[in-house]
Amino acid sequence: MNTLMTVNLAILVCATLGVLFGTRYLLTRKNLYASMIVLGVACLALGRLYQCARLWTGGLLTERFQPGILGVMGAFSFFFSSNYGQVDSLVDDGGEEMKRYRRLGLIGPVYVAALTIPILLSPSHAGFKVACTLSALMIGCACYFHVKHIFIPDVDRGIVYCLRGYNALALVLSVLIMWELVAMTYGWDTVMIIAGAGECVASFLIVPVMDRGVKKWTT
Amino acid sequence: MDNLTIIICICAVVSMLPATYVFPDKSSRLLMGYVLLGVLTCMVAAGVNEYVLRLCDGDMLYLTTCIAPVIEEIMKALPILYFALVFSDDRKTLLSISYAMGLGFAMLENMMILTDSLSGVTILWAFVRGFGAARMHSACTALVGRGIAYVRNRRKLFYCGTLSLLITAIIIHALFNTLIQSEYRELAFVMVMLMYMPHIIRGIRRLSGRKNVPAGDGNQTA
Repeated sequence: MNTLMTVNLAILVCATLGVLFGTRYLLTRKNLYASMIVLGVACLALGRLYQCARLWTGGLLTERFQPGILGVMGAFSFFFSSNYGQVDSLVDDGGEEMKRYRRLGLIGPVYVAALTIPILLSPSHAGFKVACTLSALMIGCACYFHVKHIFIPDVDRGIVYCLRGYNALALVLSVLIMWELVAMTYGWDTVMIIAGAGECVASFLIVPVMDRGVKKWTT
Repeated sequence: MDNLTIIICICAVVSMLPATYVFPDKSSRLLMGYVLLGVLTCMVAAGVNEYVLRLCDGDMLYLTTCIAPVIEEIMKALPILYFALVFSDDRKTLLSISYAMGLGFAMLENMMILTDSLSGVTILWAFVRGFGAARMHSACTALVGRGIAYVRNRRKLFYCGTLSLLITAIIIHALFNTLIQSEYRELAFVMVMLMYMPHIIRGIRRLSGRKNVPAGDGNQTA
């Protein structure tokens, strides 16, 4: 079993365990925010499942475009939607006093953009680069809200305060995924193993941490 | 695209077309219309796939496992999206028409594969294609339709929600195509079975007369 297969399989198992932890949100449909996070992690697991199946059946992941990478895009699309659609308007009314937190949020997309440059400069296939860039675009959008929601004060409702742990973990996951993409592009096995191990922990913990935050917020 | 594909498509469309106005109720006509649309979409998708195949240096395996799922799922989702935006976002209607769309698509696709490999097909092949590929196409489109009904009225969720649903459908489709063309093809059927498991459980519960049936359809969990 090569490094790519091991990393993907480990993330698949950890993300699936995370999804199983949050299944009750999908079944009861009471909390849309939580359901979207669980669906996001499920999307991540699905993408990894495809990548495992592709490697298992003799395919390659970095030669050209492959749909497994869209799993990351789908996951961060869910994370972005949940923060933008459900929570952001509760803490940011667009006023001047929140301007510095909006600027602070830009750290996330800038960091993601900086990690996308080596991928674009690599000699990889154009299809792979396009898929990575699209994923990075969605990761960057989600990261903006993750960073913003870590720092933004929420004195009125305390919702974002409860979700700080989740946002921090999602931010770590996004940074690690970006490093994994860079490592995949250049074939850096050690970086991939380190990033993969971190992703395993983050994808396993993200739902329980979010669950704890949602429970605090709703009680 | 060869002439035979167009001939099969015409046969299917012409024979089904009268049903779109003969059926007495609107919902049946709508369903038939979407089966027809699925058939036509499949023909267009086949043309696009053929064009892309040339760009992929004729690598059929790569096309079917990586590119075709993207093209096909987007093309199947567009008429559903149009219906949801213009006519109705009723959950049951969207679920029904998306399922019908997938069914029509799979029907022509199966016929196209049949004509491509006439010498190698058997009755078992027919069951395998009918059960596996047709179910998968229908389930993927139904997943998108069901999800669109949910996000349609939530402005901030609509774009990202639709994108995520489409991505989910693409990955499921690609996963099925990868497994079905490998030596582990049994796993593809296990996958289809798992996708329909919530429906089967619900059906069994209904039959056994239990009243605490969970709401919603199973595709969302698939």
